[in-house]
Amino acid sequence: MEVLAGLPTPLVMGILLGGLYALLALGLSVVFGVMKLVNIAHGDLVILGSYIAFACMTYLGMDPIISLVIGIPALFGIGLFIQQFLMGRAFSLSAEAPLIIAFGIALVIQNTNQIIWTPLSRGLTTPYSLSSFHLGPYQFPVSYLLAFIAAVVVMLALREFLRRTYLGKAINAASEDRVAAQLMGINTKMIYGFAFAIAMISAGIAGVFLGMTFPFTPTSGMQFLIIAFGVVIIGGLGSMLGTFLGGLIFGLVQTLAGFFFGPAIQMLSIYVIVLVILAVRPKGLFGR
Amino acid sequence: MKFLASRLTIGNMAIGAMVIILALLPVAGVPREWLPYVFLFLLYLAMANMWNLLAGYSGLISLCAPAFLGIAGYALAIGTWVSIPWWLGIIGGAILAGIFAILISLPIFRLSGVYFAIGTLVVPEALRIVFLLWRPVGGELHGGGAGYMIKGLVDVQMSTIYWLALGTAIASAVIMRIVLKSKLGLGLAAIRDNERAAANSGVNTLRIKVYSFLISAVITGLAGAVFYVYQGYLEPVSTFNVKWTMTILLATVIGGLRTEGGPIIGTIIIVFLYFLLARYAGYSLLIQGVIVIIIMLLSPQGIVGIMRNTRLYQSLSQLANRQLMAFKTE
Repeated sequence: MEVLAGLPTPLVMGILLGGLYALLALGLSVVFGVMKLVNIAHGDLVILGSYIAFACMTYLGMDPIISLVIGIPALFGIGLFIQQFLMGRAFSLSAEAPLIIAFGIALVIQNTNQIIWTPLSRGLTTPYSLSSFHLGPYQFPVSYLLAFIAAVVVMLALREFLRRTYLGKAINAASEDRVAAQLMGINTKMIYGFAFAIAMISAGIAGVFLGMTFPFTPTSGMQFLIIAFGVVIIGGLGSMLGTFLGGLIFGLVQTLAGFFFGPAIQMLSIYVIVLVILAVRPKGLFGR
Repeated sequence: MKFLASRLTIGNMAIGAMVIILALLPVAGVPREWLPYVFLFLLYLAMANMWNLLAGYSGLISLCAPAFLGIAGYALAIGTWVSIPWWLGIIGGAILAGIFAILISLPIFRLSGVYFAIGTLVVPEALRIVFLLWRPVGGELHGGGAGYMIKGLVDVQMSTIYWLALGTAIASAVIMRIVLKSKLGLGLAAIRDNERAAANSGVNTLRIKVYSFLISAVITGLAGAVFYVYQGYLEPVSTFNVKWTMTILLATVIGGLRTEGGPIIGTIIIVFLYFLLARYAGYSLLIQGVIVIIIMLLSPQGIVGIMRNTRLYQSLSQLANRQLMAFKTE
C-alpha cells in the first residue's frame, strides 16, 4: 500500500508532461498530415526555439514566455524559408530526398547551436518555473502546469484556426486532396509554406516550455524527435485529440516507468513503446 | 589470359593501383599522422558502401548503423575480458551484429518508407541506454557509462589494424559488386523501382530486403570492431551515437547515392574535411550539412552524377576505353 500512496505524484506529473509532449508533437503532426513528410529536423527546430528564448533571456533579460514575441516570427520565417526553398523542391526529386534534406537541416541547426552556445547543458530557469504548487498533500512543479496549459491553449487555437479561417480551410483542403484543392484555385505551394511555418511556430512554443521543464543541449533534438514521432504514430495523423491522447500516454509511460523501475529506465521505456507500437500497429493506434 | 584482359578496363586498373598503394602505405614510410586518417577513410568507406547498398539500391533508409558497430564493438570488448583473443572477437562481433540484424528485422520490416527510418533510428538510442545500465563483466568500476578497455592489444601493431581496415573496405566493395551482379541485385533494383510490381512478379521482396540488411549489418559490425581495436576503448554515449549515421549518410549522399564510386568520393571528402577542420569539430559537420542539402537539391546523384554529366568526363572516358581496346586487339 505504501507504493500506491506515492502513485498520485507520477500520475499527475505524467498527465502534465503529456501535455508538453502533445505540444512537441503538434508541429510534426501538422507537417506529416499536410505534406506527408516526416520532418527529421523537428526535434532540432524545437531545441532552436529553446535556444532563441535562452538568448533573449541572457542577453535581453526577457522572460522566456515573453521572448516568444521574438521567437515566433523568427521560427515562422525559418519555416517558410525551409519549405519554399528546400523542401518544396525536394519533393519532386525522389522519395528519399526530403528525408535526407531534413537530415541535413537537422545537422546544420544542431551544429549552429553548438558553435554559438557551446555543448553545455542549458535551462530556461525563472523564479516561477522553479517553484511548485500544492494539490492536496502532493507538490508539483509549476513549469509542468504551465506547459500543460500552453499545450491546451495552442491546440485549441490551432483547431479553431484550421476550422474557421480561410487559410486554415485551405490547409485542410490541400492535405486531403492536393489536386482537387489546386483545381479549386488554392495556391498549394504557398499553403504548404504556411503549414510548415505554422508547425514551426508550435515547435517554437514547445521549445520554450520544454526549456523551462528540462535542461537541454544542442544534441537533445534527437530524443525529442523520437518522443514526438511516437506521439504522432499513437495519435494518428491530423487528429488533435489523438495527438493529445498520444502525448498523455507517453507522459504517463515515462513517469510511471520512472516510479516503478527508477529514473534510468524512463527514456528506455519510451523507446521500447515506440518500437512495440511500430511493430504491432505500423500506422498507429488511431491511424486511418 | 583472355579472361583477365577482358576485365582490364581503365577503371579496374586504377582500382588495382589504388589498392596496392593503400596496402603499401604503412611500410612505405608515410608520415605517421597520416595513417589514422587513411584508416578512418577505409572504415567509413566500408560502412558507406553498406549504407549505399541499403539506401541507394534497396530503398531502405536505415539509420541504425551505430547499433551494429556498437554491438560488434561490445562483443569484442566483453570477449577480451573473458580471455577470447581479439581477432576472434572481431569475427564474433560481426556475426553477432548479423544475428542482431535478423532479430530486429522481425519488427522493423513491417515498416516501410519513413516509418522504417524512424524505427531504425530508435534502435541505437535504446541500445545506448541498455549499455549504460548493463555491466556484464568487470564489476562496479567498469562498464556502464565508464565503458570498457579492450584487453590483450599490447602487441598489436598499427599496421596490422590498418591492413584489417583495408581488408574490410575491399570486402565491402567486392560484396557490393557481387550483390549487384547477382540475382539479389536484380531483385533489389526491381523493388526500388516498384515494390508492388516486383512482388507481383514473384520477387520475394521481404527476403531480399532482409538479406541486404543482414549483409550490411555484418560488414558494418566488422568495420566497427576493427575501429574499436584501433581505439582500444569504448563507451555507450559515443558508440551508439547518431554521429556515425550522419557521417555514413553524408559520405554516401555527397559522393553519389546509388553509384558504385559515390561512397569512395564522398568518404574522401568527408575525411578531408575532418582533417582540415579537426580543431573545429562543429564547423566540419555544419559544412557537411550545408553541402548535403545543396548536393541533394542540385544533383541528387551526388558528385558522381555531376561528373557524369560533364562533357569532359564523357569524352575522356570514351577516349581512354577506345585506346585500350585498340591496345588489346593488337
